[in-house]
Amino acid sequence: MKLKTISKRLIAILCLFVISCKHSNEHKYHTVTDKIEAESVSSDNINVSSENFNETIKTVAVNEDGFEFLIPERKSQIASFNCTECHTKPIPQLKQEQVGEKAAHWNIKLEHAGLETMNCATCHTSNNMDNLHSLTNSEIDFNYSYKLCSQCHQKEFKDWKGGAHGKQLGGWAPPRVSNTCVNCHNPHKPQFEKRWPVRFNTQKVKERQ
Amino acid sequence: MSENNKKWYSLNLNQSKKSESCGCGKDSGGCSDNKPKDGYDQIMDVPMDRRAAFKKITAGFLIGAGAVSSACSVVSGDESKEKSNIEWEEYFKGNYKLMTDEERNETIERLTRSYELRTGKNLSMSSKDAEENVLFGYAFNISKCQGYMDCINACVEENNQDRSTEMQYIRIHEMEDGKGFNFEESDDNYYHEVPAEGHFYMGTQCYHCDNPPCVEVCPVQATWKEKDGIVVIDYDWCVGCRYCMAACPYDGRRFNWKTPEVPEDEVNKNQHYLGNRLRKKGVMEKCTFCIQRSREGQNPACVEACPTGSRTFGNLLDPNSNIRWILENKKVFRLKEDLGTEPKFWYYMD
Repeated sequence: MKLKTISKRLIAILCLFVISCKHSNEHKYHTVTDKIEAESVSSDNINVSSENFNETIKTVAVNEDGFEFLIPERKSQIASFNCTECHTKPIPQLKQEQVGEKAAHWNIKLEHAGLETMNCATCHTSNNMDNLHSLTNSEIDFNYSYKLCSQCHQKEFKDWKGGAHGKQLGGWAPPRVSNTCVNCHNPHKPQFEKRWPVRFNTQKVKERQ
Repeated sequence: MSENNKKWYSLNLNQSKKSESCGCGKDSGGCSDNKPKDGYDQIMDVPMDRRAAFKKITAGFLIGAGAVSSACSVVSGDESKEKSNIEWEEYFKGNYKLMTDEERNETIERLTRSYELRTGKNLSMSSKDAEENVLFGYAFNISKCQGYMDCINACVEENNQDRSTEMQYIRIHEMEDGKGFNFEESDDNYYHEVPAEGHFYMGTQCYHCDNPPCVEVCPVQATWKEKDGIVVIDYDWCVGCRYCMAACPYDGRRFNWKTPEVPEDEVNKNQHYLGNRLRKKGVMEKCTFCIQRSREGQNPACVEACPTGSRTFGNLLDPNSNIRWILENKKVFRLKEDLGTEPKFWYYMD
């Protein structure tokens, strides 16, 4: 008799337990982080592509420490590339020949670190103007100028490779296209400039009076 | 005070004491019950002679007949007939969530056709569903934002927000350094050169919570979370009670107090049923992560417009996405995390 009631109760408790643990799919995870971990899939299983939105951007591929992505091609965007079309002779000679004429690149003023750290020749190669060079004088293509920046800006470089720095272009879906350093920062004056915000909400002012 | 002069109504529970004297003062003849009527009785239990009743029935009939006649009339033009047909069908359509694919296509056809009849212009409206293996998330770099507000302009243009009340989904808050996230002392409507000395900027908008309180409180299920994590609103099912607005701890939702106005040549014609299609007076709206763009693989308008790269959007389920790298490698946090709303919008610093 006693055993029977106990077993009955046990069954009832068990039933309760089973019912109460039956969660709907909606609340399967405690946090969104759990959900992300559990439901992550390999990139191949994602059927969305942003190719349509990147079509107009001419790109070059980057592969740094296992991060593979695309960046906008640069050389075709530089107004009078190749530089050697004008820079046919070494700079001191060019300067001598053009005394009295309006200086070329008059509009470029270097505001990047101090003059103790940087001058034109830190990046530009006087005897090969079509390329840049690293601190140890190895050649750097204009399309890959991030290699030059990353010599000092290591932290930014790390964030850029991962995707935390540098604007993502086109779409969120693969293939990834990110801006390279010089797409946002003027290399001669890398600081963002102060300016006025593009809008002012006059209604909000009225509402809050 | 006597029972009968009571100005309030009390339930007659277990004390069916009938008033002896008559409230109307008449001693003889009928006397209508003085008790205030409730619910159904208020409408149905009214003294009415035959003439009044007949009048009311006729009026009701005329209203119904008007609607039918404009839809079936032989006299009115084909266009106005079609218009009222559309109105009729739109009025009785169901909740978007419960519609079959066919019904969805039909309502979209009606909406685009009605726009064409109204303005003579075409728009494309999509009902694209969530993609498999996609969960949208957003990251915002508060070290990078300079407070230019380009994102807000892009958002307003993309999502056809009301120009006359200057509705905007995004707010950029100017915060003082050293005071932390102090929304009470921050300014979200500044107008001076930015970035201002000693300040930082952070943007807020709908966070598309994974456990959204706004969805929980909607009495008519006009708002819900889609499979890809976007919290959407069926503008035609919303009754405008604004419970969701009150439930949102982040000020993410906006209400149309008046009929939204968008100049015809500024209307974004690339629309989604759950996204930027034109709204009406008395319904809620909010950021949808630009559903009409994001479901196609494109970035939301704010991400595209940001000149600083503070905004990152992506698929949380793709281990190779930028947003996943940020979540795994930067020191990220969310607003009011302790509420358990699980927003899918993370902030981080350089």
